[in-house]
Amino acid sequence: MANHVQTLPASATPLSRPARRPGWLGVLWTFCRRKPLGALGGVLVLVMILMAIFANLIAPYSYDETIRGARMKAPGAQFWMGTDNLGRDIFSRVVYGARVSVSVGFGAVLLANFLAATIGITSGYFGGKYDICVQRVVDAWQSFPFLIVILSIMAVLGPGLLNVILALGTLGAAAASRVIRGATISVAQNQYIEAARAVGAGHFRIMVRYIFPNVAATIIILATIGLGGAILAESALSFLGFGVPPPYPAWGAMLSGSGRSYMYTAPWMAIWPGAAISLAVFGFNMLGDALRDILDPRLRGAGGGRLR
Amino acid sequence: MKKYVFRRLLVAIPSLLIASFIVFLLPRLLPGDVVQLMLEEKAYGKDLEELRAKMGLNRPFYVQYWEWLGKVVRGDLGESLWTRRPVIEELARRLPVSLELGFLALIFAIIIALPIGVLAAIRQDSIPDYVARSLAILGLSVPGFWIATLVVLLPAIWWGWSPPIQFTEFTKDRWAHIAQFILPAFILGVASAAAIMRLTRAMLLEVLRQDYVRTAWAKGLREGVVVAKHSLKNAVIPVVTVLGIQIAQILGGTVIFEQIFGLPGMGRFLFDAINQRDYPVIQGVNLVIVSVVVTMNLVVDAMYALLDPRIRY
Amino acid sequence: MAEHENSVSRRDLLKLGGAALAVGATAQALDLGRAAPAEAQTPKRGGTFRLRSHVQPPHFDPHAILAFSTMIPLSFAYSRLVKVKAGSGVVPGTQQVEGDLAESWSQPTETTYIFKLKKGVRWHPKPPVNGRELTADDVKFTYERYLATTNPNRGTLEALDKIEVVDKHTVKFTTKEPFAWFVDALASTSTWIVAKECVEKFGDLKKPESVVGTGPWMLERYDPGTRLSFVRNPNYFVSGLPYVDNVEITIDTDPASGFAAFLAGKYDFGPEYGMVVRRSDLDVAKQRKPKLQTKDYIVVFGGITWPKLDQDPFKDIRVRRAMGIASNWREVLETNAWSLGHGVPNTAVPAALKDWALPIDQLSADGRRLYEQDTAGAKRLLAEAGFPNGIKFPLETTPGYGPDYVDAVQIGLKNWKAAGIDADLKMKEYGAFISSTIFGKFDKVGSGLFGAWTDPDSYLYRYYLPGQPLNAAGVNDPKLADMIRLQRRTFDVAKRKDIIYDIQRYVAQQAYILFGPSVSAMAAWEPYVKNFGPNIGHDYGGRMMAAWLDK
Repeated sequence: MANHVQTLPASATPLSRPARRPGWLGVLWTFCRRKPLGALGGVLVLVMILMAIFANLIAPYSYDETIRGARMKAPGAQFWMGTDNLGRDIFSRVVYGARVSVSVGFGAVLLANFLAATIGITSGYFGGKYDICVQRVVDAWQSFPFLIVILSIMAVLGPGLLNVILALGTLGAAAASRVIRGATISVAQNQYIEAARAVGAGHFRIMVRYIFPNVAATIIILATIGLGGAILAESALSFLGFGVPPPYPAWGAMLSGSGRSYMYTAPWMAIWPGAAISLAVFGFNMLGDALRDILDPRLRGAGGGRLR
Repeated sequence: MKKYVFRRLLVAIPSLLIASFIVFLLPRLLPGDVVQLMLEEKAYGKDLEELRAKMGLNRPFYVQYWEWLGKVVRGDLGESLWTRRPVIEELARRLPVSLELGFLALIFAIIIALPIGVLAAIRQDSIPDYVARSLAILGLSVPGFWIATLVVLLPAIWWGWSPPIQFTEFTKDRWAHIAQFILPAFILGVASAAAIMRLTRAMLLEVLRQDYVRTAWAKGLREGVVVAKHSLKNAVIPVVTVLGIQIAQILGGTVIFEQIFGLPGMGRFLFDAINQRDYPVIQGVNLVIVSVVVTMNLVVDAMYALLDPRIRY
Repeated sequence: MAEHENSVSRRDLLKLGGAALAVGATAQALDLGRAAPAEAQTPKRGGTFRLRSHVQPPHFDPHAILAFSTMIPLSFAYSRLVKVKAGSGVVPGTQQVEGDLAESWSQPTETTYIFKLKKGVRWHPKPPVNGRELTADDVKFTYERYLATTNPNRGTLEALDKIEVVDKHTVKFTTKEPFAWFVDALASTSTWIVAKECVEKFGDLKKPESVVGTGPWMLERYDPGTRLSFVRNPNYFVSGLPYVDNVEITIDTDPASGFAAFLAGKYDFGPEYGMVVRRSDLDVAKQRKPKLQTKDYIVVFGGITWPKLDQDPFKDIRVRRAMGIASNWREVLETNAWSLGHGVPNTAVPAALKDWALPIDQLSADGRRLYEQDTAGAKRLLAEAGFPNGIKFPLETTPGYGPDYVDAVQIGLKNWKAAGIDADLKMKEYGAFISSTIFGKFDKVGSGLFGAWTDPDSYLYRYYLPGQPLNAAGVNDPKLADMIRLQRRTFDVAKRKDIIYDIQRYVAQQAYILFGPSVSAMAAWEPYVKNFGPNIGHDYGGRMMAAWLDK
């Protein structure tokens, strides 16, 4: 019988108590410490989403409210960001504009990723002739210049918020589907997929229960970065005359429309929407990068394509 | 290797065919056809039909498509419905402009992205890494046309200087020709730089962790040598992939810069053609762009295969 | 303000040479060496006019396109039988007609005209015409081609029935019915005289090589998307003209880039259409160019709203009146970058047409009410018409006219809403808009811009006569139609004016169509550009042919 009981160091946790898993607050704190840029991005994104949801509480005026005698006023006490040529408060319009950007961004990305996931997962999973055919179509679709697709869709459907979402969503689906397909292929090779099939699980069940959750990280990362791209694309579309039409105050439309007209006589008309776009895109990108670093290191650099 | 390239070529052809069909179909879905537009504010009932017949637009869809395809194979992309100039002629003038802009932008992107990416990787998670990455992403976040407008307007207001307004051909004045691309290419390049920077950093990070790199360190090789010799070579592969995607993006998205800087490129040509429902031009330009992109992808895949012996289809 | 506005008009007239001011006059081209009075400046020869075009000409065939992007370049290279007087003394908005290729003309009957052409007019020394003399056959050929059914401009000379060659220098026109605007129609910027050889050689006149005319400059070079270069016509039929050797039009579609280039001294004229500089840019422009010459003028463009007159609730005149009374044209002008408050409201004839537009204070009381914002009054009218809670309808328009237009639409919607008129904006892409909405293919209400013509008749005939393709509101009023037809047959100018004034009063009374205001834009040109005066319309060449550069 050995008397060499090793004394545990005083700080060791007694074995009778199980180790505590860090709560989500702890996870958040670790995230901020390890990825400060990502945290900054997250804050920006959060601000934007809050602005969108609580716009009517935050904005002092309505977005199309013209205030008498207050045309082209520089930023000051009453109008924090100044007013535009129609006498509307720019701060209010920027806040309400978050709604449009969030709608366009999330709408387009949701559509794009839904399409991309459907195409990518089925293509990667089933493989064979189906995969080859689908990939040829995706190839062809992806080679299309951004312009022709957007303009064609917008010209057929006409200007409008929903149509912008449709156009941007369809465009973003192709490149994303490639990445998801790649991820699906690597997941599908796993043993447990084979096992599931051996047990008799149907294809649909396998795709939804096994493949999708493993590919989810990929999708989230693509989505986050895609959001930034969608917002930028909306502003480019406005410049070309195809963006979200009034009365919605879209940041892109504010920047490329009358903001651009009065760029040096009333620079605040362009600066604030421009800054809003830049910060939102910056935020989404930083957040996406950080998520990617954490969730799936294999994916670094896969989301190279960007809509300008 | 040859077999691989040949197989990829074979695969590219159906893509091109499908693309050509979409290319042919899309503009015809646009409401308000070219004849209406031509007669603009004065369309008289029977005149529409007359003009349409004159342009051969009243025949069934598949007949038009087949005829068009046949001509394309022989190198005839048709004539613009508006200007009656052969599409090939206009493309020959404008394609080089867009390509030059694209390549110059890519060069700027690489010049900006590579050093930053390397720096960010080597000094990972330190202040220089954060600053570098933030700057790169900022470059991509600010809408390009805004920067371009400021770059064009402010010098004019402050110093009475503006970029050249008329396009100078290469044959007329080599330096003026290149000079007019510098500003737009730089702004365009800054936007693409972020993607390349990200990739470079990521790949470099992964490579730096590899055993053979650690061995080199252990052997006492200087940091610079380690990075340059061993890691950069391997990091180049995905960068090359991204280049292929970037070219497609750039080619398709140069409209804004072509407009602001007065460069007669394909983007503007295509944009006007869509607005005017000039079907032959829309089809011709799209076909060319799609072909260029498919070719670029092929080249990129080939380079990929060349660089990384592990890749075999 | 213009330096030469009122001082030297008569001398300018003589300088233009060959000007037949009235029917029957036989003025001759003056030798300029004789005509220089002591106090005047002697025109200098040489130099290049540099200007910007914000649109690109799709092609050069005046019989196959309406767009001013084509007509403006053609105005440098071609001539018409008659043209609109130009010069630094001309009041913008006036469209006084004088002879161009025509030395004189007479009107023996109500439906016939005899035009005597100038002798010795030579075409440009370019193939395939190679500088031969212009004859009456050219005129006949031109107008027969003009009347082809595929010419979108055809409506301008719809009344023309026959063209006959009397002799080498005399042409006889016969109209289907008396048409008092015939000579003015011949001065429009689509009636250029073209050469048969070009059509025969090239099939049509779309290619730049086929631009061979008798105008003051010759098209030397066309780079699509970049430039149009013109060189002086050595054989121009007004001796001594043009003074300036070259015209260089740069195609630049971006307004910011255009203005920057103007500031950098790359253009001699204001960068926007009509040689205009936006008032919001004027201060900056004057800082760079303190001696800039400027002149403001009312542009011929403005907003137009068509309610469907055969549909509820627009059948009721009270509803239409309410829409007019609820709007605020002053606010539209104040928020517009071009006008910054300066401008005038429009009636059925655009205010820019100074000789024919009725000032709104001369409208009937009901008509005048349309132009004074009265939100409460609009609500009352709607309640009277049976809509105490207001009305709601879709409004179809396009973003293709630019952000300034969209802003103006916003103002209109806001003011309507305050009166209970709730318009649901339906945007249509420009190409689709211009092939459907303007022809009346919309639900309830459509809105756009007017301003394609510089004569009052077009605005009346095309918008109010039943059966006309552009009668988008569906106006069908026999009394109005009769008045419009009557003025077309009334040759006496004073009487015609009275009828046209009556028409404007009547349209305002009935509120068939609603009009937005027209901005007063500021034309600007460099101090060394002499004898130039801006005007409405696309005739740039006509306005520059007797101008010169004092550099």
